[in-house]
Amino acid sequence: MNVLEIRNLTKKFGDFAAVDNMTLSVREGEIFGFLGANGAGKSTTINMIASLLRSTKGEIDLLGRSISANARFAKSNIGIVPQDIAIYEDMTAYENVRFFAGLYGLRGETLKERTAEALEFVGLGDKHKSYPKNFSGGMKRRLNIACAIAHRPKLIIMDEPTVGIDPQSRNYILNSVKKLNEMGSTIIYTSHYMEEVEEICTRIAIVDHGKIIADGTKEQLKSIITDTKEIWIGVRSAEPVQVEALKAIPGVLSVRVEEQTVMVSSKAEVGNLNRIIQQLIKDQAEIRSVEEQAPNLEAVFLTLTGRNLRD
Amino acid sequence: MNVLNIAWKEIKTGLRDTKTFLLMLAFPIVLILILGTALSGAFSTSVKVGDMKLLYRSEVTSPQLAEYWNGFLKAAESQGIRAVAAEAGADGRKAVRDNRYTAYAELGDNGIRFYGSSKVSIETNILQGMLTVFADRYNLVAAAVKENPAAVPGIVAAWTDAGDYVREASVDPKRQPGSIDYYAMAMTTMFALYAAFSATYLIQGEHARKTAIRLSAAPVSRAEVFAGKIVGCTFYNFLILLAVVLFSKLAFDADWGSRFGIVLAVLATEVLLAISLGLALGYLLKGEGSRSVLMIFLQIASFAGGAYFPFGETEGVIHLLLNLNPLMWANTALMKVIYENDALAALPAIGLNAAVAAAFLILAVIAMRKREAL
Ligand SMILES: Nc1ncnc2c1ncn2[C@@H]1O[C@H](COP(=O)(O)OP(=O)(O)OP(=O)(O)O)[C@@H](O)[C@H]1O
Ligand SMILES: [Mg+2]
Repeated sequence: MNVLEIRNLTKKFGDFAAVDNMTLSVREGEIFGFLGANGAGKSTTINMIASLLRSTKGEIDLLGRSISANARFAKSNIGIVPQDIAIYEDMTAYENVRFFAGLYGLRGETLKERTAEALEFVGLGDKHKSYPKNFSGGMKRRLNIACAIAHRPKLIIMDEPTVGIDPQSRNYILNSVKKLNEMGSTIIYTSHYMEEVEEICTRIAIVDHGKIIADGTKEQLKSIITDTKEIWIGVRSAEPVQVEALKAIPGVLSVRVEEQTVMVSSKAEVGNLNRIIQQLIKDQAEIRSVEEQAPNLEAVFLTLTGRNLRD
Repeated sequence: MNVLNIAWKEIKTGLRDTKTFLLMLAFPIVLILILGTALSGAFSTSVKVGDMKLLYRSEVTSPQLAEYWNGFLKAAESQGIRAVAAEAGADGRKAVRDNRYTAYAELGDNGIRFYGSSKVSIETNILQGMLTVFADRYNLVAAAVKENPAAVPGIVAAWTDAGDYVREASVDPKRQPGSIDYYAMAMTTMFALYAAFSATYLIQGEHARKTAIRLSAAPVSRAEVFAGKIVGCTFYNFLILLAVVLFSKLAFDADWGSRFGIVLAVLATEVLLAISLGLALGYLLKGEGSRSVLMIFLQIASFAGGAYFPFGETEGVIHLLLNLNPLMWANTALMKVIYENDALAALPAIGLNAAVAAAFLILAVIAMRKREAL
């Protein structure tokens, strides 16, 4: 069953289409990754799903019902973790979660239990009496999540929930996303971090200029680029390397150099490794290692959009 | 239920911020004290009804008349008049002339005579007024005792209520506020209106903290959010005003009259008006603009509404303009409630407050419908 179905969704700000005729569906039980560079239209899409923005055109169905005609129903079944931390600094962690859960109709004992449960879930069980103003960035991010899950929504939407936090909190969050999913929530997850998306998402959509340009499991996405290969050559110093000469070799698509690494991306079917190495020897670059990289999402993204995920 | 949830959150976080709470309490109190003492000269008529002293000599033999007189004394005492029986041979008139007593009364079986101080003051007026009324009746009773003793109890029974004398008797029935009394009232109503200032943050604050996102995403209507905010903020600010009123009454002995409930109703609706005004302005104008506009309005309203000095009688266009000011109608109403015991005078103010509050809310709701989210 599709938890979410989006058809021909468009959002215009003036003449500019932030989301452009987007169609996509999210099935029950998925962790759906939404991958896109800054300004690609991820948040705009999410905000329309969460009824925070009105669409210019198109339809959104949640659990088979149109969200515009069933706003309360849709809102009750969605939990949103906003991109910006949205909590009250003058209320304790516990009060924050309880207040927001209360808006979803939870009362009395259930409210108390679910509040405690949500805090426990994000690892703030021992901090429920503390004020968030004394929290680290990672703890605030976790509280931001707790506030969205206490009412046990069918669909949890997380808009870059791991921005600017320490690796420990990040791991905690990634694990809790998986756990939430196991407990039955469908999840939409946006991120700038390819590794995160690759680690937890069961399906990924790549968004660019308000459009979905590719959509599938990570294996499916990687197969898009099996016709290219990425060769990394370790050298003592990349200084003497003549980049233009490398680029002139047949099959080579692009060359990037870092201090001690030369990264060549090349057509897969052209056997040009020998010529590349010979060129480097000629440049007296002192080769130390040669490895062929497995195709990764970063490369997929680069190939599809022509830019890096992060600038 | 959501409305109460949101309201309760406002109240709780408000009260928790004790520093702000105490500051909001201290500000009006300090102003009452400063203005009340600095400008006490401007309120020369300030006299407490409680300062009145009555000297009397009774040579009554008729037990009925004696009982009637005692009844009057009790009634007078309940109004704060101290009655002292003159010692034998003392010159009562001289005592009044020397200003030791407000009035002197001599009574016998044939009637009553009294002497008031020649100085015209509210206290002599009130006391003489009471005595005049009493004297008329006393003389009637005295005559009745002689002619028709059986009728006396009936006549007396009709006149035993303390209020009878005061209301009818005072030559100048209007009590006047002292400077502390006046500023206790004027500062309280002024700060009630200033609550509008904090209300501009009610929705803006949610946007600044990004929590507006959560409120909009939750299955709660925006009208519920508005209502909750207004109820909570009104209650919180009303608590502060209540504390100011009680503090001024207990610490400065400010006169809030005897119709306490009515006074509080005027204040509560005035806060409601202020909060609705602030919320609507903050919602419509966004950012600092809303507060600049409000600040100008509040300062003009305070000045023209008599917050710093009371206005005398006005007429014509000026009168009309001045009365468009919520502070003016609140102050006018409270003056009448407190000093003329006229509870009905509060009704126009309460009605106007509620109507204006409703108007601003409707304005905000219309604006709200055009927005995508909160
Ligand atoms: N309210 C708005 N008015 C005008 N333009 C907007 C508005 N909101 C977003 N945009 C524009 O729409 C585009 C998509 O923005 P959006 O926030 O959806 O991107 P995003 O994919 O979430 O980016 P990021 O990774 O930076 O969060 C951007 O170019 C942005 O400038
Ligand atoms: Mg975004």
